[in-house]
Amino acid sequence: MASDLFGVPAERITADSSPQTLEAWDSIQHLNLVLAVEEKFGVQLSPEEIEQMKSIGETVKLVESKLQATPR
Amino acid sequence: MAISIQPYRQEHEPAVEEFNRRLQRLSGDPDLVFSKTAIPRWLAPANHNPVWNEFFVAIEGSSVRGAYGLKQEMVVVRGKGTHRVACYHHPLSEGIIDRSYASVGALLARDALARQPLLYALGMGGYERPLPKMLKALAFSLTPIPFYFRVMHPAKFLREMQALRQARWRAVLMDVAAATGTGWLALKAAQRMSMLRGRPRDFVADLAVEKVAAFSEWADDLWDQAKDNVSFSAVRDANTLRLLYPTQVRPDQVTSTRSLRVNRNGVAIGWAIVGERRKDPKFGHMRVGSIVDCWANPENAASIVQAANQSLEKDGVDLIVSNQSHHVWCRAFEKAGFLKGPSTFIFAASKQLTELLQPLGQNRSSFHITRADGDGLPANF
Repeated sequence: MASDLFGVPAERITADSSPQTLEAWDSIQHLNLVLAVEEKFGVQLSPEEIEQMKSIGETVKLVESKLQATPR
Repeated sequence: MAISIQPYRQEHEPAVEEFNRRLQRLSGDPDLVFSKTAIPRWLAPANHNPVWNEFFVAIEGSSVRGAYGLKQEMVVVRGKGTHRVACYHHPLSEGIIDRSYASVGALLARDALARQPLLYALGMGGYERPLPKMLKALAFSLTPIPFYFRVMHPAKFLREMQALRQARWRAVLMDVAAATGTGWLALKAAQRMSMLRGRPRDFVADLAVEKVAAFSEWADDLWDQAKDNVSFSAVRDANTLRLLYPTQVRPDQVTSTRSLRVNRNGVAIGWAIVGERRKDPKFGHMRVGSIVDCWANPENAASIVQAANQSLEKDGVDLIVSNQSHHVWCRAFEKAGFLKGPSTFIFAASKQLTELLQPLGQNRSSFHITRADGDGLPANF
């Protein structure tokens, strides 16, 4: 997902990838990342959670905790 | 530290000033500035006013990291009555200068949508700008509002129109056209052709145009008579127009418009707001007049455009511009010799507003949206 959004090969995406390290990670792509996460994992992100997505690692952690908290 | 979005209060003003300083210093763009005052200078909220501005700021600790405005207003939607909507305007984010705040743009837009799902934005400078891209991602529908222009002084237009002179080869051609008079001939011919494509020119000698101090009952009558001809429009009754176009302009405002009432046989048939735009580098040293807003029954649209055009012509402007979306007004401008140019003035409607405007394909050409809509005159003049 991040590879498609930010237009870089998947092997270049790490947990530390962030707006500082990925040229394409600007405000618009941040919104697209939020929308993509919501759609793919069927979750709703609050403003606080959107703000927590400061790196790929933090985004993954957030999605995992959301999925664990969601009754299946 | 968490970011929270709150109504802009007086206590936030120093932090907004600091935010503005950071944006301007690090971006180099003097236009990146949010309102220094928590109380809007234009359309401050007041009891019973149908239209007002309100501002919000994104706060992190004691710092402001973003801000935006909402212009709350009433609109009429054909067959669906009157609704309150809001215009999302002047969103600014720390993310412009510091990528660690890339999330702020999304937070601002989502906050605005949460406060008013019937949301729109207008203008924005073209599809390639960040805001329309962001709104498109949020499922807004985007519609360009046609741009019309009429060149009064072709030689000056060819020499000064910086937006068209960016390519050197084109600038040279424009200089040649200005010097030889071929540019004059071509522009006048194009404008004449535009007039010929319309219906025969209305007889305007029986029109009387007067500058009015305020909108009153006559404007209410015009609003009631013509509103069923539009599929979507901001309410333009006398009460709203008095707020949008106040006759008392403060010295710190740069607005220089006048309200014209057009009468036939002593009866008001429509009105127009005209004015000279502030200097803009893309127009060079040209004096640019604008037909900012207008209203009339469809059969009188051409007369209103001609009256407004003549009023600006008398001022001696070099170029007259307007943005119009309603097909009747578009035809009226063409009939008055205006040419259609590329538009960067975009109407973006939220998903919920778009649903209200359905069927969009059918209704779009009957929207009444002009340069005066959206964030309005202070931003554009």
